[in-house]
Amino acid sequence: MKRQTMYLRMITSSLVRRRSRMIVALLAVAIGATILSGLVTIYYDIPRQMGQEFRSYGANMILTPSGGGRITPEDAARAAALIPPENAVGIAPYRYENIKINEQPFIAAGTELEGARGASPYWFVSGRWPEETGEALIGQEVADIIGIGPGGVFTLSGITADGDGFKGEFTVSGVVQTGGAEEAFVFMSLEALGDIAGGGGLDVVECSVSAPQTELEELAERIGAGTPGVTARLVRRVTQSEVTVLSKLQALVYLVTAVVLMLTMICVATTMMAVVAERRREIGLKKALGAPNGEIIREFLGEGLLLGGLGGLLGAILGFVFAHTVSINVFGRPILFKPLLVPVTMLVSIAVTGLSCLLPVRRATDVDPAIVLRGE
Amino acid sequence: MGNNILELREISKIYGSVGALRDVSLTVSQGEWIAIMGPSGSGKTTMMNIIGCMDKPTSGAVILDGMDISRESQKGLTNIRRDKIGLIFQQFHLINYLTALENVMVAQYYHSMPDEGEALRALQRVGLGERARHLPSQLSGGEQQRVCIARALINYPRLILADEPTGNLDETNEGIVLDIFRQLHGEGSTIIVVTHDPEVAEDAQRTIVLEHGRVARVTHS
Ligand SMILES: Nc1ncnc2c1ncn2[C@@H]1O[C@H](COP(=O)(O)OP(=O)(O)OP(=O)(O)O)[C@@H](O)[C@H]1O
Ligand SMILES: [Mg+2]
Repeated sequence: MKRQTMYLRMITSSLVRRRSRMIVALLAVAIGATILSGLVTIYYDIPRQMGQEFRSYGANMILTPSGGGRITPEDAARAAALIPPENAVGIAPYRYENIKINEQPFIAAGTELEGARGASPYWFVSGRWPEETGEALIGQEVADIIGIGPGGVFTLSGITADGDGFKGEFTVSGVVQTGGAEEAFVFMSLEALGDIAGGGGLDVVECSVSAPQTELEELAERIGAGTPGVTARLVRRVTQSEVTVLSKLQALVYLVTAVVLMLTMICVATTMMAVVAERRREIGLKKALGAPNGEIIREFLGEGLLLGGLGGLLGAILGFVFAHTVSINVFGRPILFKPLLVPVTMLVSIAVTGLSCLLPVRRATDVDPAIVLRGE
Repeated sequence: MGNNILELREISKIYGSVGALRDVSLTVSQGEWIAIMGPSGSGKTTMMNIIGCMDKPTSGAVILDGMDISRESQKGLTNIRRDKIGLIFQQFHLINYLTALENVMVAQYYHSMPDEGEALRALQRVGLGERARHLPSQLSGGEQQRVCIARALINYPRLILADEPTGNLDETNEGIVLDIFRQLHGEGSTIIVVTHDPEVAEDAQRTIVLEHGRVARVTHS
């Protein structure tokens, strides 16, 4: 038998057959690792979650028609002209029509695709954005219900507010995931929607303007005064607060992580200290049998590291469950599983246990082999 | 004398103000069986610890197998212990989370290479072939002592040291252990055994009686 095999047999037997003793240390490591991996998971998933949460607030000013009806293209152009060009990040006009595909109700949204793309950085498109009038970008929900993907062809039909029926055939250029209501939309260019449904006008114009709050308020008033058909409404610029929230969260995560790591280390160190004290006779015996100090260290450290690895694995799994539960409760969405986090959590746990074992292990080497004959 | 395995030259061991051993001299030749007796506190265990390289005398020289161990470093003592000494304890000192077989293999592991077959033969020799896979808690005291003996013998020690090996055993098991000792002696092993029991001492060729850390009497049989 190889010495390595015997070594592994010794340290695993010690953990497995003395489990009641080691379970405390294992729990300490596992709980530490759970909180650690859970926090990290949540922390890295939050930007994604928040992006979805605030997706509709990509714009910070929204133009809607003042009375009934729609915003005329002229009014829209006049309002847009009031926004200083150097401040306009993206302006996305939208015209909505109720439509049916295969007798299922959806909404067709005509827009300036370039502007919509800039105003919605959170959208995730598989395939590509439409480039020709015969193409459309469909929401994930639409894709799921009618069972179609990029490259597929579908026919839509609808009735305008004026009571005119229309019909059109489109090729799917891509499928968009936004996590929100847009997933039940069919996006196309304003021209394409105009071609089939006729008429014109806009239901809403989403503007992304980079300017301080006070300037924005002035701007909104100017637009309202300058174009009576249009009402300008401000939306708080959430991307800004998003950054603040994230950086505060980051500090919190670091702090909690440090505290948890320290508590874990203290707990593991105390447990190992007790384990060493409890096993003084065994250590003395091993020394009496001729084990050098290095071997005693290797064995205790081996047990500690095995414990760290096991606790880390357990913690990585529990941490995901923990993060998932939090995510479901806070955001109402599942969390993404990051496989890389499993080895990382295990490595961190191993490092932490290794570090906390140093002092107890040193204690172990101080044991005097003479105690075995004295029968303490 | 060329075949002396152990020589103690006027060794003393002082603990603070207690003189546990005082000017003890002893020569043991290869293949001898020595018994050490004496009242509690007379220094028997102290002497065994010194002979077994687990402690150093305060003064005096210990020559083990031609080497003066009173000059060795801790590390050197560890190596001598591993290579030359087989230890048998009153409390057996088996590792409780390892099986009988693994307990024997631990001694091989520290010495050189674990060899399961050889360890098993050692257990068979003390009549425990059937119980090799049992944990110490599943063995009787007598069986545990036999595992301890198998472990002490596994690396062919030059010197077997036993401190009260039958102190925790009933008469039947004492008989079994003594039989093993007789057999070892017959094969030429050198044995030093500490005992309170005159029956155990009977088999020894020489009995050293300690009192207050000094050799009070030596009897030959
Ligand atoms: N580590 C120590 N520190 C101080 N005194 C010690 C130490 N070890 C032994 N002694 C003392 O040395 C003396 C001899 O002890 P030792 O253990 O050698 O006796 P013993 O003959 O083995 O006794 P017993 O038959 O009870 O086992 C005792 O007085 C004991 O108190
Ligand atoms: Mg004693």
